[in-house]
Amino acid sequence: MEVRRLQRQYVEFASSLFREGFLDEQFSQVQQLQDETNPDFVYEVVTLFIQDSERLLSELARSIDEQPVDFVKVDAHVHQLKGSSASIGARRVKNACLAFRSSCDGNNFEGCLRCFQQVRNEYSLVKSKLESLLGLEQQIMRAGGSVPTLKC
Amino acid sequence: MGLEDGGSAAGAGEGGGGEGERFRVLVVDDSPVDRKIVERLLLRSGNLFEVIAVDGGKKAIEVLGLNYADCSVDLILTDYCMPEMNGYELLKAVKEHKLRKSIPVVLMSSENNPQRMTRCQAMGAEDFILKPLKAVDVQQLRHYTRPAAAAAVAMEAESAAKADGKRKLPPMKVVGENKGSERQPRPRLARVAVS
Repeated sequence: MEVRRLQRQYVEFASSLFREGFLDEQFSQVQQLQDETNPDFVYEVVTLFIQDSERLLSELARSIDEQPVDFVKVDAHVHQLKGSSASIGARRVKNACLAFRSSCDGNNFEGCLRCFQQVRNEYSLVKSKLESLLGLEQQIMRAGGSVPTLKC
Repeated sequence: MGLEDGGSAAGAGEGGGGEGERFRVLVVDDSPVDRKIVERLLLRSGNLFEVIAVDGGKKAIEVLGLNYADCSVDLILTDYCMPEMNGYELLKAVKEHKLRKSIPVVLMSSENNPQRMTRCQAMGAEDFILKPLKAVDVQQLRHYTRPAAAAAVAMEAESAAKADGKRKLPPMKVVGENKGSERQPRPRLARVAVS
């Protein structure tokens, strides 16, 4: 049956995201906040995360380009991104932000450049994964099924 | 109450709404992701809360109407790290205001910083919760309201307002019960032992 196949695919894909560290238990918590009174909650949160992350990454790119670099300003942006990634359960992005903050603390420009690249990479990966996950959710719902609850 | 950019208001009516009092919580956070999640946590907590969400301390000050006698916020739940006006500065503004100082303020932060927590508790914060918030954190928030103190302040303010010829205050909502004369024990979420 199509719904069952999609649900299995969803669970396998989601499990891989947890296993590979892209998502952590916090994402399950976010998913549990979705119900019939707000059936698009996860989609809305992920959309906000993507919009906010892209804004912050643009700000970071601008801040790192400044001469001299204002490490306090850079750190403030990284702190915000760390916070929102932690709130949505995007563990690898959060961890990349933690490393980035260490470079900012040490006023380490080379370190900041490396970390910025790492954060961008991790964000790009998790964005793609989340979009795929939400795409599967939509397919399940269109096929008349319910989205399985994730357990990490 | 007009909330423009950076603010939104939501009640628990999505689930059909119910009878009885609800606590009005002012959520202050510059992160749109965190605002959304915290708001949802509050609205899903058994019809206990109405939520006003704003994106910063300055907007919170406007909502609290520090220039006006009446205010219908029962609890402020604010992030610590925010640009322009951080959570501590908002806490200070509330606790140093004659008419608003009884409003409980709970701070949230992603950083476990004991100095920060001590500073906030010294300024009169009810608690300091580590982010990301969980459902159990939100359930504990109802214990932070202090209706006896709030009513006393309201009565004092009403007397002062009458003496000054200002408009009368609306009756203050009693949002919970204090059993006995003692303050309710501090919930387990307290992160710092107050010396």
